[in-house]
Amino acid sequence: GGGCGGRRPGGRAAAERRGACGGEMAQCVQSVQEFIQDSFVPLVAALCSEEAERLTRKNNLGFSELVKPFCRLTSEVHMRDPNNQLHVIKNLKIAVNNIITHSPQPGGIRKLLNDVVSVSQPTEGLVTNVITAGDYDLNISATTPWFESYRESFLQSMPASDHEFLNHYVACMLVVSSGEPEPVEQFLKLSQEQHRIQHSSEYAYPKWFIPNTLKYYVLLHDVSAGEEQRADSVYEEMKQRYGTQGCYLLKINSRGSNRGADEQIPDPWSQYLQKNSIQTQESYDDGPYTVISNKNADHLISDDLDNDIQVDGLSNNFKAHPLQLDHLSDTSSSFDGTDYIKTTSSLHESKKTSSGTPHGACLTLTDHDRIRQFIQEFTFRGLLPHIEKTIRQLNDQLISRKGLSRSLFSATKKWFSGSKVPEKSINELKNTSGLLYPPEAPELQIRKMADLCFLVQHYELAYSCYHTAKKDFLNDQAMLYAAGALEMAAVSAFLQPGAPRPYPAHYMDTAIQTYRDICKNMVLAERCVLLSAEILKSQSKYSDAAALLIRLTSEDSDLRSALLLEQAAHCFINMKSPMVRKFAFHMILAGHRYSKAGQKKHALRCYSQAMQVYKGKGWSLAEDHINFTIGRQSFTLRQLDNAVSAFRHILINDSKQPAAQQGTFLREYLYVYKNVTQLSPDGPLPQLPLPYINNSATRVFFGHDRRPSEGEKQAATHISLDQEYDCESSHQWKELEEQVVAVVNKGIIPSNFQPTQYCLNSYSDNSKFPLAVVEEPVTVEVAFRNPLKVPLLLTDLSLLWKFQPKDFNAKHNGETKELACGNDMIGAEVIAEFLINSEETKMARLKLFPHQTGELHILGVVYNLGTIQGTMMLDGIDPSIGLQAGKFVYNGMSVRGRQELEIQGPRLNNTKEEKTSIKYGPDRRLDPIITEEMPLLEVFFINFPTGLLCGEIRKAYVEFVNVSKCPLTALKVVSKHPEFFYFWWKYCCSNTTESLSF
Amino acid sequence: MAVCIAVIAKENYPLYIQSITTENELKFHYTVHTSLDVVDEKISAMGKALVDQRELYLGLLYPTEDYKVYGYVTNSKVKFVMVADSSNTALRDNEIHSMFQKLHNSYIDVMCNPFYNPGDCIHSRAFDNMVTSMMMQVC
Repeated sequence: GGGCGGRRPGGRAAAERRGACGGEMAQCVQSVQEFIQDSFVPLVAALCSEEAERLTRKNNLGFSELVKPFCRLTSEVHMRDPNNQLHVIKNLKIAVNNIITHSPQPGGIRKLLNDVVSVSQPTEGLVTNVITAGDYDLNISATTPWFESYRESFLQSMPASDHEFLNHYVACMLVVSSGEPEPVEQFLKLSQEQHRIQHSSEYAYPKWFIPNTLKYYVLLHDVSAGEEQRADSVYEEMKQRYGTQGCYLLKINSRGSNRGADEQIPDPWSQYLQKNSIQTQESYDDGPYTVISNKNADHLISDDLDNDIQVDGLSNNFKAHPLQLDHLSDTSSSFDGTDYIKTTSSLHESKKTSSGTPHGACLTLTDHDRIRQFIQEFTFRGLLPHIEKTIRQLNDQLISRKGLSRSLFSATKKWFSGSKVPEKSINELKNTSGLLYPPEAPELQIRKMADLCFLVQHYELAYSCYHTAKKDFLNDQAMLYAAGALEMAAVSAFLQPGAPRPYPAHYMDTAIQTYRDICKNMVLAERCVLLSAEILKSQSKYSDAAALLIRLTSEDSDLRSALLLEQAAHCFINMKSPMVRKFAFHMILAGHRYSKAGQKKHALRCYSQAMQVYKGKGWSLAEDHINFTIGRQSFTLRQLDNAVSAFRHILINDSKQPAAQQGTFLREYLYVYKNVTQLSPDGPLPQLPLPYINNSATRVFFGHDRRPSEGEKQAATHISLDQEYDCESSHQWKELEEQVVAVVNKGIIPSNFQPTQYCLNSYSDNSKFPLAVVEEPVTVEVAFRNPLKVPLLLTDLSLLWKFQPKDFNAKHNGETKELACGNDMIGAEVIAEFLINSEETKMARLKLFPHQTGELHILGVVYNLGTIQGTMMLDGIDPSIGLQAGKFVYNGMSVRGRQELEIQGPRLNNTKEEKTSIKYGPDRRLDPIITEEMPLLEVFFINFPTGLLCGEIRKAYVEFVNVSKCPLTALKVVSKHPEFFYFWWKYCCSNTTESLSF
Repeated sequence: MAVCIAVIAKENYPLYIQSITTENELKFHYTVHTSLDVVDEKISAMGKALVDQRELYLGLLYPTEDYKVYGYVTNSKVKFVMVADSSNTALRDNEIHSMFQKLHNSYIDVMCNPFYNPGDCIHSRAFDNMVTSMMMQVC
């Protein structure tokens, strides 16, 4: 208790903290500014020699992976803009990537994004916000991490385009190991290789920012294995050749790979690398149904080493982009195995092993610092001066082109305002998306400059450049370029410190429209939407953000549509006056798209959240639909209990669905139920929701069925199940019975006397345990009602009971027998088929034959529930499971289940306490005590007159039959009007039958 | 004309909802339900003083690809929502307005029935006929 109590407040504090800093749901943990800054970072290529790659592989990491956690600078940097103003760069991040010479393939990206989303599921203890809007209290997940990881992966995996330079490589690191025989030679080789990749027409990818890329020479030194002196001397030589600012000696692997396993060193890589090594998986719950597809779990999306395409002893794999699907097919042949993170065949294990295979095993904390130092040094001394220089050059070019020595702003404006229609040769490149410029066209220089300024956070300059570029591109009708400039102009306007101008949302709208409608480039349009929506959300313009997100949903990508719709839904709920219903509706749309995209868990989550809005508000059609979908999704996810309860819901509620729909619901419900029962065949029988049982209408009849009247013979009783209860006559009979008992007992009615009741119903006094006689049947009439518009078929319908045998003479405790097992003690009648038509109320009479004395408790009914039309198979759910073991009745399927009979007694209203509170007395009509054999009298009238004249005398016969084996003695006849009758005895043939006339 | 007509109680549960075909029924239910957000927004946008003397007809709530959704709120906050085919350009705003007024009158008749419990679902043949006639008027 103490531990639990201790944890609780902590959880709440965490929730509050999240609420305080985030404020809104579905928002990124980082701020918008950080998010946008991190989406566009200077790209640095890395080209490693085979030997250098081997050094980093000791740590289970490639070179680019090795430096990844250290790519954010912790200190501020200063640089000068073209006007010689000092500019401060804060929190700069760079990205170091291996060179990949293939553009990422759409299929691969799609798969990667799909995986990213399916892996990111809400955890059990996910913080939820409670939103109260009107009379709605909604529990909504506070964050949507799947969307954030999707967005991150999406932006990282965007293919570089020709109309912008943001994700073109600015610099290239050439990495060589100090242990190589000829490190300097190797540097030259790498340098040539880089040149070849950039300048030969052989490779269209990757893209480079400017023709003379910054080359940075890195000598990698293995401290534990290499000679320090040699490394130093090589480094000296490098400094001579490339200058101190152009090269670096990075010492790593201070720790031998085999020792120091006991030492715990933080692993900063795990959070970065998990995303790259995502497995294809449908993570089902760990249930007995879990399907593991080993085929896909075996491969790893990481840069495989394909031996056949190694170039010049370089280990970089130029051909295989991490997003390529190709190595799905040839993993077995190309997997080098030894150095790579091995994934186990088991899906569940592989999830864990991503943290199990340690990264950076050979690195000490000093090494971490060295790498950090290296990145900082590279950025300060290499990258930023290079960018600064390039910006200056571009600026000078722009100015000199006009021959003006004014500042950039006015100069560029003048230059561009007078720009002419481009030459014919360029015009030929025109395509549907408008004009295309050659890569080094003068028109693009200003865009390059803008992009560089943007990357180093000089947003004012970037904005004015983008703005100018935009006008120029629009003049040229170069729509793709114009859209790009518009997009970035809007973003840099937003990011300008002090916000001198409002965020130009219409720039973004135009950009999105152009990307989507003119350029038919959904990826770029999507980037715009993601950026703009985030900005709008930060400015509390939720309805604009929602409209933007919804506009980009389309048929071409279900996953994107689903994610955007979900975000739009979150926008609706975040508005000042939350739009709960719009939230719910868009959640449903999102759920639908998730399910189409194969993201079943996300789909289920969306529907469940939407359900909160529709539940119990009278929108039954919608509610049924959601319940049905939840049922199906739960079923496919093997959450059978959820599925059953969802389906149950559809059938319990007074359904307004058309008959065909109800039929489908019922069939699907039965199908799911069947699966549940097959899962646990020994479990207790499930409770069935159908048909309804009107508990209080249950009637119980003790004794044999009355022999029907034959000819003039008429049963002298009004009591049978076919007879309606008549209050007045039953009262008269009771009085008569009391009178005769009083006469027999010399004028006193015994205190334990209770009037004989053969038939118990809701009007009779059921407060005492009724008596039943052994070997005489007990008939229970159950009132079933079918609420559906389709007929229900009950088969093998019988009563469910509990019996405690008790010999009322010799006391001995009999064991309690549950359910219909002891047929020697109690015989139960089974109705083979019982059909209830649509919306019909029908009684079923079920008999029990007690063969022993004791206490009987009738608990309920047990039956197979089925339909009679059932030729259609369930779509969406694999029917084969049902076919192999299913028992079909009239082509429909059926499940065995039970329903309990619970009768509430009358409301008590005698004492003051009972009057002030609501209390109900017991109803014991289903708990008869089986007593020993007793005589049983049956009486018949023969020729009984139906009408008499005043003073008329008629002869009629009465036949008394004792049907029991027990002798019957001391027969009394009682009448309200004894003076009307005269008895005359006549013994009949049989010894048990006597007749009498009067 | 109209393809779906709904009467929504003050507490936003449906009193009556009828659509022209059964196959799209679910879609209409969703549409009507979602439109209630817009109704709420439009009402709350008006000042408290204005609410009493406002125009009951709210006009176009929102257009979807295929349909236009119109709204009308009585003084007792009972909402009428009408979904019309957006391809039907002949339908003018004042026609919609008069349709709502007819609907309102018919609703008042239902309320005047002493056997009707306010808040119950509407089961009235006269009201049914009225709604059906509004959906039948094919242009």
